[in-house]
Parts: sequence; C-alpha cells; structure tokens
Amino acid sequence: MSALRDRLRGLRAQAGQSVAAAAPAPAPRQTTIEDLRWLLGVRARSRARPTTPFPARDRELFGEEIAPGLRYTEEHVDWPGPPAPIDTRFARREEMIDPARLLHFDTETTGLAGGTGTRAFMIGAADWCGGRLRLRQLTITTMAAEPAMLRTFAEWLAPDSVLVSYNGKCYDAPLLATRYRLARLANPLAGLDHLDLLHPVRRHWKGQWENCRLATAERQLLGVLREDDLPGSEAPAAWLTYLRGGPATNLRRVAAHNAQDLKSLAGVLLRLSALGGVAAREPS
Amino acid sequence: MNALIDPAHRADEAAADELVLRGPADGGALAARLAKRYAGRVTGSFVVPGREGAYEPLPEDLPPALADALRARGITQLYKHQGEAWAAAQAGAHVAVVTPTASGKSLCYTLPVVAAAMQSHAKALYLFPTKALAQDQVAELLELNRAGELGVKAFTFDGDTPGDARQAIRLHGDIVVSNPDMLHQAILPHHTKWAQFFENLRYVVIDEVHSYRGVFGSHVANVIRRLKRICAFYGVRPQFILCSATIGNPQQHAEALIEAPVHAITESGAPSGDRHVLLWNPPVVNPDLGLRASARSQSNRIARLAIKAGLKTLVFAQSRSMVEVLTKYLKDVFDHDPRKAPRIRAYRGGYLPTERREAERAMRAGNVDGIVSTSALELGVDIGALDAVVLNGYPGSVAATWQRFGRAGRRQQSALGVLVASSDPLDQYLVRHPEFFEGAPPEHARIAPDQPLILLDHIRCAAFELPFVGHEVFGNEVATPWLEVLGEEGVLHREGDRWEWIADSYPANAVSLRSVADGNFVVVDRTGGRQTILAEVDYSAAALTLYEGAIHMIQATPYQVERLDWEGRKAYVTRTHVDYYTDAIDYTKLKVLDAFGSAPAGRGDAHHGEVHVVRRVAGYKKIRYYTHENIGYGPVNLPDQELHTTAVWWQLDQRTLQQAFDERQQALDGFLGAAYALHIVATVAVMAESRDLQKAVGSGDGAWFVSSDASGRGQLRGADGQPTALEPDAPFTPTVYLYDAFPGGVGLSAPLFERREDLVAQARSLLERCDCHFGCPACVGPVLAVDEAAERAPKALAARVLALLASL
Repeated sequence: MSALRDRLRGLRAQAGQSVAAAAPAPAPRQTTIEDLRWLLGVRARSRARPTTPFPARDRELFGEEIAPGLRYTEEHVDWPGPPAPIDTRFARREEMIDPARLLHFDTETTGLAGGTGTRAFMIGAADWCGGRLRLRQLTITTMAAEPAMLRTFAEWLAPDSVLVSYNGKCYDAPLLATRYRLARLANPLAGLDHLDLLHPVRRHWKGQWENCRLATAERQLLGVLREDDLPGSEAPAAWLTYLRGGPATNLRRVAAHNAQDLKSLAGVLLRLSALGGVAAREPS
Repeated sequence: MNALIDPAHRADEAAADELVLRGPADGGALAARLAKRYAGRVTGSFVVPGREGAYEPLPEDLPPALADALRARGITQLYKHQGEAWAAAQAGAHVAVVTPTASGKSLCYTLPVVAAAMQSHAKALYLFPTKALAQDQVAELLELNRAGELGVKAFTFDGDTPGDARQAIRLHGDIVVSNPDMLHQAILPHHTKWAQFFENLRYVVIDEVHSYRGVFGSHVANVIRRLKRICAFYGVRPQFILCSATIGNPQQHAEALIEAPVHAITESGAPSGDRHVLLWNPPVVNPDLGLRASARSQSNRIARLAIKAGLKTLVFAQSRSMVEVLTKYLKDVFDHDPRKAPRIRAYRGGYLPTERREAERAMRAGNVDGIVSTSALELGVDIGALDAVVLNGYPGSVAATWQRFGRAGRRQQSALGVLVASSDPLDQYLVRHPEFFEGAPPEHARIAPDQPLILLDHIRCAAFELPFVGHEVFGNEVATPWLEVLGEEGVLHREGDRWEWIADSYPANAVSLRSVADGNFVVVDRTGGRQTILAEVDYSAAALTLYEGAIHMIQATPYQVERLDWEGRKAYVTRTHVDYYTDAIDYTKLKVLDAFGSAPAGRGDAHHGEVHVVRRVAGYKKIRYYTHENIGYGPVNLPDQELHTTAVWWQLDQRTLQQAFDERQQALDGFLGAAYALHIVATVAVMAESRDLQKAVGSGDGAWFVSSDASGRGQLRGADGQPTALEPDAPFTPTVYLYDAFPGGVGLSAPLFERREDLVAQARSLLERCDCHFGCPACVGPVLAVDEAAERAPKALAARVLALLASL
C-alpha cells in the first residue's frame, strides 16, 4: 500500500483538516476514488453498473407534502360494511372487538433482505370513520423524511388500537420496530394488540386455494380482480427510480396497490369475522 | 516402508520396545528411555523446565456469592495472572492474557464478566473461533452458575441456534457466546433486535486471538470496528478482554485487532511439570536409495509405546485421511474387543457435531487413552489432561508446534512431546538442525485491516448497519471514497451528508471472513438401503477426499464413495472392507491472463496482473495398510478448482540465463530459492500469513512448472502434472510468481508490484545475512544434499537470480 499512500500524502492534509475533530490517532488517511477503482479492477469487470435514469418529466406525485419530503394522501371509500363488532373466534380468541379500534396497515419497502438495511418508504393505514373506510398513506420522497413519517404514523395509534395486517407480525411490525429504533424513537407498535390475518386464512383455506396470498384471498372472498396491478416485487425499483430522479409512474401504481391491499385487508377481516365459530375449527 | 524391514530387525525392535516399557511411566522417564533405545532416531532432545505455581488469594472486591461459587468448585485461590487480569479489568483497561493451554485462562475473563452481570446486569459478548469452544465455555459458565446459584444466564448463539430460542437469548442472555462469523452475518446486521443487549454491553471477550491473523484476522479486525461503531450508536464503550496462545507479538497483535492499548499479561502463575521434547527422524530403511521409514510408522510406534506405558496420548496428523489411518493402526492394537468402549478416538473437522461432542466428553472423562486429531485440537477445546503429544510431521510453524506440545502437561508430572519428521525437506531440515528449532522464536501474527478491498467489504456492511454521516472515519481511513464507489455501484444513496443503504441485498452474506467457498458436502451412507448422513466435508476438501472410488474413513471405519453429486454437494458411500486406503494425486498450475503493469527489473522484468490458478485432482493411488505398497491407480474426473486472482511476477529471458548459468537445472533451483526468499519478505511486507500469499515457479506461458523434490531441488513438471524434461531447444523463461490465494484477490499483489525493487533488495539481504552455507528454511528453503560445490548450492544460485533481478 505504500505507493498508494505516497500518492495520497498530498490529499491527507486536506482530509485531516475536515475530519480532525472526529479522528482518532493516528491521523486518518484518505484514498482517492480513482485508486479504489483501479484496485477493484478484477472484481468490477464482471459486474454491471446500474445506469442512472435520465431526468424525467413525469414527476407528479399524489397527495400533499406535510413535511419536507413527506407526502400524505387521504381518501374515504365505501366498502363492504357497515362494520359490526368483530368476532375474533377465527383467531382462536373469544372477545368481540369494536371496529373503531381497528387500524389496518401495510408497508411498502425497499426489499425483502431484512436487517437494518431495509426500510419502508410508504406506510398505508385504513380505519373505519363515519361508516366509511378511511385510507391514509404516507410516502417519503427523501431519506431524511423518514423520521417525520414514523412520527406521523405513531400519532395514528392509540393505546387501545388493534392492528390488522397480512403477515405483519413477521414482516411489517418488526421492520418498523427497527426503523423506530434507528431513528431513536419509541416504537408505537410495541404492546399493541395485533390481528394478523395470514395465519387464520391459511388455517381455513390452505389446500383449497392455489396459495394464501392476499391477492388470492381477496379474489376468493371478495371477488376483487386487480387491473394493472404493480407486482409487489417491483415496488422497491419504483421508489428507487423516483428517488434517483426518474419518473413517478410506477410509484403511483405502488400507491394504488397499497390502497387496494388496505381495502382487501378490511374486507377479509369482515369475512373472517362473519364465519363466527366455524373458522375456529380445523378444515375437514 | 515396513515391508522393507527384515524379520530379525523387527524382533530387535520388539525387544527394544520391551525395554522402553520397563520402569515408571511419566513423560520424562519415557523420553529418557526412548532417547536411549532409539538414539539413532532421536536427533535432538531438550527439556522445557516446569515451574512452581504463583498464587494469590481471591480478590476482596469479588462479589461474595461468586467467591462462594468458586470455593464450591474447589477454587480457593487464584493464579497470579488471574488476579492481575481481575485488577486490570476492574481498573477499566482492555486486557490481553497470553498464557499456555490449561493455565486457567478462562477465569481471567469469567470473573469480571460474571461479577458485572451480578452487580449491574451488565452484558458480555464472547467470541470464539469455533462452535466447540463456545459450547465448552457455556458448559463451564453453567457449572459455576449452578455452584453458586448466581442467576447469570449464558447461551451460545451460532448457526445451530433454533429460531425460537434466538429472541429469548437476545433479551435475557447475560453472556452470549458466539463467533466472529455470527457477529458479522447475524448480529450486527440485526443490531436493532439486540438493542437491549448492546445498551448494557460491558465486556467483549475474544479468545484464541492468535488464530485471527492474515486475511481472516484482517476481516475480524474490521468486524470489531463495526462492533465498536454499533456500540457507539447505543452509547456504550465495552472493555475488551483478549486471550492468545503464545505468538511472537501478542500485545501488538491484540492492539492491532481492537485498535486500542491493552494491558498485556504474559506471565503464567499456573504450575506445570517439565516438558521433554524429542525430535525424531525415521530410520533409513534403504541406504542405497536413502529411503527413510515413514513418519506414520514412527508416530504409530511412539504412540503405541506411550499408551502401553499408561500415558494419555494425543497424535496430531496433518490431514484428515492420515488421522483415520493412524486411528486404524492404534485401534488394531487397542480396540479389538468390540464389546468394550473404544480406547482410541479420532477427532477432526468433518465429523457431525454430535459425534465431536461425544468424543470430547469421553476424553474429558478420561475414558480415552489415545486420540488422533488434525489441527482441530490445537485450540483450547477441553479434553482433560494428557501426558504425551506426538506430531506426525512438522505443523509448519514454531508457534503451532508449541501449541500442540502444550496440549500435554499435568501439574505434578512431566510431559512428553515428540516431533516426528516426514520426508518433506522442511521437516528433514528441522530434525537435522535441532538448534534451529530450539532457538526459533514463535512467529508473529500479522493483520492488514486497511487492505482496501477488505475495507470495502466491511464499509459496505457497516453502511447497511448504520448510515455514514459526513466524513466519518472507519478504522484509520476516511470512508468517503469507499462510499462513493458504493454509491456508483448503486447500493448506497447519498442525500446531503448522509450515505444510506438502498439496495435490496444483505451484504454480510456475500462477505465470508474465512474466504472459504460455500457449500459443504454431505456424506450419505447407502449401505443396505439406508440413507443416513455420516459426515460433512467442506468444499475445499471435497475434491481431495470424496472423488468416486475414494475410501472415506470415519473413526477408522472405511466407506467407499460410489457416486459424487458435485452440483448437489452430496457423496454417496457404502460400507466396505478393503485393505487399502486412497490418496489423491493433485497439482497446481498457473497461467497469466492479463498484465496490468510491467517494468524492468534489473536484467529481467517484473509484472503485475491477473492470473488463473488451476488445481486439479488427476487421479488417486490405492495404498495398502501397513505395507504401504501402491497397489493401483484410479482416475478422477472432477471439475478443476479454479482461482482467478492477481499476482506479481518476475522473469529473466533465455539469453541472460544462458550467460549466468551453466545449465537449466541450476536456473530452476535458483528460481525456486528466489521464490522462497521473495515469499518470506513479501508476506512481511503486506502483513499477510504465508498461506494467504502463495508462490509458484513456472514457465511464463504456463507450459510447465517447477516443484521441490525431496531434497529441495527443482523438478520440472509438464501441463499434466507429471515430471518431465525440456527439449534442449524449447523456449525457457522461468518465472517466479507471488499470488493472492483468494478468489478475485484481496489486493495483496498490487502493493507488491509497487515495492518490487525493495522486495528484491530485501530478499538479497535476507540471503546475505543468513548464517547457513547452502540454504535453510530461513532463506531459500531447506536444502539437504550438500555434497557439492558451494557455488552450485541453491543459496548461491538463488542469490544469482536475485542479483539479475536487482536494479542495475
């Protein structure tokens, strides 16, 4: 490395000044990006670099900006109801839950890799409001807006809220817990009651349907057939494209997809509730 | 080779053995009798004197319940080094403990850690290089905890920990015992799940730090940087307690790993008996050919005598198959009654974990009289007290030799260590120059954590764990240029002064600390229609041990490989009863793909570029037990083990060589010696381990390569790996290569190219300053045949090659 260091000696003073406060002894060194590229030669040759999208004109997004980089949409829809107290025997529970306490939620994330490097760029939530379903969505268009999104979502939750999700116990809730922790905010989901519909649906219909994904459940139970739906796997790319200055086209489709997920979640819950005691039994 | 020994000779040996077995049995007595009866074979013998114990009372500031628990376990006082470690830890220092095996090292960290857990619910993270060591440690902690009802919870956390247990360990573990790989791949990238643990983390204990050297050590040092970065996020600065076996630079190495000053404790207060060491050269069995008996036959004999004399004996073999062969030989003597529990056990990587645990338990309980192991037992796995250690071949380093000898030793009784030389030139040199070994200091452990490509891997992982902000420093480097590279790659997104992870990937999975290729092979027993998994073999060993036709032994029971499913990583075997074992024939060759840079080097030239290294298993030999006759060959049809990497190389052209050397063989010997010397200085220059940087001598076009023969001279081999000779008019451009032994390279060769002139100068000075006449392991490699003129000795020839490559 000595020759590389030698070449960098001139740069070091410069770099040393800018980091002097944080620097441990010995003085930190700085390598130029050209040196690194050269060193990476053998490895990089096989790897294609992603292309930066061209600056796009179609950058129009939904909703209003309620904080820098944070967009908010709200919509009230008529949806199978009106809600009656939720019979929770499908979840092998006894009590009836007041629908006013329900908060259906679903996140759109940058991937499935897990760990601290995955984030939610959109949080959608639905609740019953004046007999209609209220859909609210938070979307960040900058990384810096994440804490604002997390704080806003926290405001939507009350101590007696009952979360409703599809696989949220294993996926969305832990992911948000990580994000709150990284933002040094208290996790508002901790300790809340949570109805995860994936497992009851599986218990009841596994083997009868080709699979138990939400899209299948909504088709079978609610007769919903999506048109022009953006597959969930393309959501990360849609957001990244927008983040890097590309078109908003697919990000709008992600929002539509998320809104449909929320509606289906509410609908599937009502169907499960309507099963009464039947759902508690194992399928024959 | 035993076949060559006539019956009369055999009877003599039996009589000699009878005499060896007479009289009291301890290591010293046996050493004396062996040295007397086998004077012709024992080329060196020395005694490392034992020492009295140095004790001190249990510290007064130890929590009373912990002191009671220690007393309940029979510990009423501490060794001096344990007391010193306690005091240093209480004073808030990072501590490095460097004392021999079985000196009660673990109490040095157990006391501060358990005390802190009891007094302030402080947490501790233990890192061990292997799962077996981690499990030992937890068992020990649980016993101490039970003895005093201390309420301290210790758990292992490794790849075998079930998912539902992980949550409980994260929340309730006071002491989490894991390994660097798990920290790197499972804990740090999920640190938010461990938030409570990190917020209360007081101690990080890293044992066996001498094993974290070279590229592996450089990776581990970067994992520690990431750990400290996460700790800072949670507002803690844990104290480090490190333990090491004897190496040349323990304090410096500990400080390099954690990048902070440490309080080093190097004086052991534990008592020990004398250690008697014998260097043993197998006898010449064919004076005409100069053939010696095999090391294996001698190790077997010495182990047999030691076990018969009542000494608990450990034999170290260099390969897994040699472990099995020696186990079989000892079992044939000691384990012929199947109704009795086995007295001889094999221990090596590749056994199923349950089998290894079972063997460890049997050894600890004293039910085993003889153990045959690979380097797997070099580390501190608790196997109870032993009396004798036999090394079947030199382990390759002074430090490892002493670590292995250190496995034997009781407080009151002398121990025996025997190094049996193989026919390898290095082994032969050592036993013929016992003073070289006796006086040699243990090697230094070296790491280069700022190696740019390793650094890039870990900055990538670190950015996944927490965003980089501003001109953040990672280790000693400002991370910004690395972040820019990662930004270009598309995995990071820059916003203002923050670099955030944006890719849908989990970078730690793509970075292996140990650079081992993925995909263990499982060995499936199909005997009688069964489908049982017998063993796991790691990828690197598969080609050498699982080819179709191979005899694969497990605890000396032979199985034959019937089918190898390379893609599916499975070998199907059946139980067999053949009287032979198999040995793979493999060779390595190297070809230049592309030169990135070239420059004149004296009268030749130096280059740096991309090379292709191919290791091929060409076939296998069938070797009959005991007689070791070669009774046949078999073909092997396996994919080549290919390595695409970077190298630096030096060449001299044909005309220059013709002027400088009388014959081509001399030039080859000179190149081999020059390669050896350049390799020594280059490993130091890039702070690598010798295994991380490999050397080779071959033709510039890959048509042939050169390996050392038994006497240390160069043997030309063709592209098929067979010995060959060149046509007198064939082109002749010998080349010395130093290459990075990692796929894609970790960047060792570029700096070597930059320093090429310096390296040649250093290699020349290494030769000049070496006191030997013809060549030795400290300069151009071991040289055995010295019956010729000094100017034709490898040392002189290598000096001539280096002079031609030196700046004019």
